[in-house]
Amino acid sequence: MSEIKVGRYIVLTDRLYTETDEWVKISSVDNVAIVGITDYAQKKLRDIVGIELPQVQREVKAGESVGVIESVKAAADIFSPLSGVILEVNTKLLEHPEIINKDPYGEGWIFKLRASSLAKEKEKLLSPEKYIEKIKGG
Amino acid sequence: MFVSPFHDLEEKLGANFGEFAGWEMPMSFSSYAEEHMSVRTSVAFFNLSHMGRLRVKGNSKEFEMLIAKEVSKANIGNMIGPTAFLNDKAGFKDDVMVYKVTEDEWLIVTNAINREKIISWIKSNSNLDVEDLTFKYCMIAIQGRKLEDVLGKVELRPLEFRLNTNFLGYDVFLLSRSGWTGENGLEVWATIDVGRKIIMDLVKMGIRPAGLIARDSLRQEMGFVLYGEDIDENVTPVEARYWVFSLDKDFIGKSSLIERIRSGVDKIRIGFKMKKGERVIPRHLSKIYSISNEVGYVTSSIFSPYLNRVIGMGYVNPKYFYLGYNLAVDIRGKQYDIKIDEFPFI
Repeated sequence: MSEIKVGRYIVLTDRLYTETDEWVKISSVDNVAIVGITDYAQKKLRDIVGIELPQVQREVKAGESVGVIESVKAAADIFSPLSGVILEVNTKLLEHPEIINKDPYGEGWIFKLRASSLAKEKEKLLSPEKYIEKIKGG
Repeated sequence: MFVSPFHDLEEKLGANFGEFAGWEMPMSFSSYAEEHMSVRTSVAFFNLSHMGRLRVKGNSKEFEMLIAKEVSKANIGNMIGPTAFLNDKAGFKDDVMVYKVTEDEWLIVTNAINREKIISWIKSNSNLDVEDLTFKYCMIAIQGRKLEDVLGKVELRPLEFRLNTNFLGYDVFLLSRSGWTGENGLEVWATIDVGRKIIMDLVKMGIRPAGLIARDSLRQEMGFVLYGEDIDENVTPVEARYWVFSLDKDFIGKSSLIERIRSGVDKIRIGFKMKKGERVIPRHLSKIYSISNEVGYVTSSIFSPYLNRVIGMGYVNPKYFYLGYNLAVDIRGKQYDIKIDEFPFI
C-alpha cells in the first residue's frame, strides 16, 4: 500500500473511492468490502463528535444513505458504495467518533458489507487517480 | 475575504482554516476538544485579529447616548462590558467591550461581522471621531485556568487594562485582563510583527494554539451569546437575558427597551443539555417542542468536551421556561429530549 499526498489530504492506493467521499477496500476472496470516509472528507467535516451506524444485516443499495456523521460543522450522510448486506459495524466509533479524524483509513472504518453485485458496481467506483482529480483544488 | 495576519505561522502550527465573518481564520489546530480542555485545565492562546478594534474620541455625552451601559461612572483604565449598541427598537446593533482610556476616548472591540456597520452607525449618530485599528494591531488572547502558573502573576485586576505597556519583553499597545472563556485570561493588542514574536514565544513556552471552534465551545459552556447566531438586530437584551444596559441613563433604544420590559417578551433565551451518550447536534434554527407543540428554536449547540454531552441554547415561548423541564428538539425528523438548565453549565 502506498499513500499519495494531495495538498493536505492523503489518498491510499489500495482501495477505491466514491463521489461522496467514502473509501472501499474490497476483498476479492469473499466479496466483503470495508467502508469508511476519506481523509479529505474528515478534514472537511472537521471534528467528528457523533455517528449513526447502519443496522447489521440491513440490506442496502449502492448510493443509499446508511448512516450519519455529526461533526462540529455539519451532519453528513454516509452512503453505501455498493449494494449488499451489512455484516459488521465499528461500534467503537459510538463512544469515540473522533477515531475517524485520527485514522480515517484504519481504525476509523465504519462498516463492512458483503457485496451482492460487485462486478457491475465496482466499475462505477473511482480509482485513486480519479479520486485525486476530484479533490484537487477542494 | 480578509486573511489572518498569522496565516503562514498558523499553517506551520497545523491550523485548519475556515471562513468566519468574512475572515479566513484558524478553526482548530489538532482537535477542538483537546484545545478546549487545555483552556479548562491549563492554558491556550487564540488569534482574535478578526474582531473589530476601534478608537473613538469626542464628547462623552454623545458617546453615552450610543452605548447601553454607563461609561461615565467607570474608572479610566477599566473595561466596561460586555455592553451593547442598540437600535431604536432596542435590538442588538452589536455587543461590545468598551475600554475607557480617558473621559473622552474609548477603545471598542466589536464582533468581526459588525465592524463596518458599527463604524458607520457611530458616524451617522454622532460627531465622534472613529479610527479603525483592526489592521494596525493584531489581537491575541491567552486563556486558561493555569495562566498564572505558566506566565507568572498577573498584575492587572479583572477588567483592568494598560496601554503602551510591556508583555513578555515586547512593547505592546494594550494588555487587558478579560476573556470569553470563563477562565483567567489576558488579551494583547500589538503590531503584527510583535504579535508574531509573541505567538512564537507562547509556543516555545508550551502554550498551545486554539482555534475558533474551541472558542465557540468554551463560550457555550458559559452561556455567552454569539452575535449572528444567538443575538441580532431583532433580539433585545431582555429576550436574550443579556444584562448589558443601565436604565439610569439615556441611550438609543432605551424607550423601546423599557416598553419591552413593561409589556413582556414573547420569547426568552434558554440553555439546554441533551442526555449523555446522545451524540447528535441540533443545528441553528432546529425546532423545539413541548408535548408536540412547537415552542421555540435552537440558536447554538455543540458537543461539550468538558461535560461530555451536547449542550446548547435557543429561544422558547416564556410560558415553557421552567428550569429542569424537558423539551424536545427535532433533528432530521426525529425528536430528542433536551433539559432546560441555567448558565453557566460548568
